[in-house]
Amino acid sequence: MSSKKTIKSAFESMMFVWGEPLDVKVAADIFNIDWKDAYEYFKELQEEYESEGRGIRIREIDKSFQFCTYIENDEFIQRLCTPIKEKRLTQSAMEVLAIIAYRQPVTKGEIESIRGIKCDRVIEGLIKKNLIEEVGRSTGIGRPILYGTTKLFLEKFGLKNIKELPDIEDIGNIVEDIEETDTGQISLEI
Amino acid sequence: MVYKVKLDVFEGPFDLLVYLIENAEMSIYDIQLSEITKQYMEYIEDMQRRDIVLAGEFMILAATLIEIKSKMLLPRNKFEEDEEGFEDPRSELVEKLLEYKQYKNVAAYLQEQEEINNRIYVKPKEDLSIYTKEPDVFLNLDLIQFIKAFDMFLRRRKKIEEVKNNYTRIKRQEMSMETKIEQMKRILTSRRKLRFRDLLGGVKSRYNVILTFVSLLELIKLKSVKVEQKTNFGEISIIANEIDTQQAEGA
Repeated sequence: MSSKKTIKSAFESMMFVWGEPLDVKVAADIFNIDWKDAYEYFKELQEEYESEGRGIRIREIDKSFQFCTYIENDEFIQRLCTPIKEKRLTQSAMEVLAIIAYRQPVTKGEIESIRGIKCDRVIEGLIKKNLIEEVGRSTGIGRPILYGTTKLFLEKFGLKNIKELPDIEDIGNIVEDIEETDTGQISLEI
Repeated sequence: MVYKVKLDVFEGPFDLLVYLIENAEMSIYDIQLSEITKQYMEYIEDMQRRDIVLAGEFMILAATLIEIKSKMLLPRNKFEEDEEGFEDPRSELVEKLLEYKQYKNVAAYLQEQEEINNRIYVKPKEDLSIYTKEPDVFLNLDLIQFIKAFDMFLRRRKKIEEVKNNYTRIKRQEMSMETKIEQMKRILTSRRKLRFRDLLGGVKSRYNVILTFVSLLELIKLKSVKVEQKTNFGEISIIANEIDTQQAEGA
């Protein structure tokens, strides 16, 4: 039985090599330890990096852990190499993604009824970007395809899991906090 | 009042409606339908001139707006109004608008999250293939390489096709049986006895061998020659028929 110290150190190396989010279950299986213990070790590592104020941090995505840079260092990274910024999603793509994220599993019909406009092409684009995927078929008429978000969606939006999305009733306030310039006249309180 | 707003600013009919309501500083719970409908229609009209397909998508909501407007114009039954169950014709629309607004907010929230996350960098997975030593390592091309190779193949094929379309292959005219027979007769006048291979004249192409053989058969039929083959696949010896050679000479 390996000591906790050895395992934690191994997890660190594995995360380094893996690059992509490393599944806790995979890591736990390597040492034949309990999933919960492995998760605990990862959390400890994450905490250590944070408390030491390291330039490399560990982030959690859907029960997986991954090395990433410290957010405040982005300015320096950009000075070093000006990484190519990924093209941002369009407003319509964001809206469709928002509906899918909160209503999943959801059919195209439901999405279109909320937005009042056709969404075929947007959905196609999101699937191509691997942000959403088919998760099954509805039992309704015509058995329409149900859509849900992917792990990449969590990764791209820095969410630990789908439950980490703020309550939809609070979203209005959060957004207003973000956009101080928001001059919306309509209050959402009921 | 016409809103000269760029078309693609609005993501859909609800988006436009929410904008119009907000812009007119109206409460979403107390929409002044005649005013909003008017503005909405003006906008669609403007839009129709540019993109009829897109305008069509906005038409359904226009119809809904007009329907609600007309319902509100109808004199209300007093009795009905007194009852608590009376429903404002606008309420369904308001509900939809509120729901839409909620998701619009989520979209804004996600955008913010995306922006934050864009400041964090991660490393791609290490390339471990050199350690795993897969036997079919040559298949481990990355996609780009593969695409390039395929593209090259397509381009080459296109080129060949182009050449084929513009040029035709010309074949050297092959010797006819008549000419060959004439030639063989001439050889037979100088040498009365010879082997099949002597008739080939050193050219061992399939066409020439067949041509020579068929011509020989023809000469046998004309009784110009006698042919002998001692073993299967063995050498064929040819002996010229005297009379015929003389005839040939005469001709």
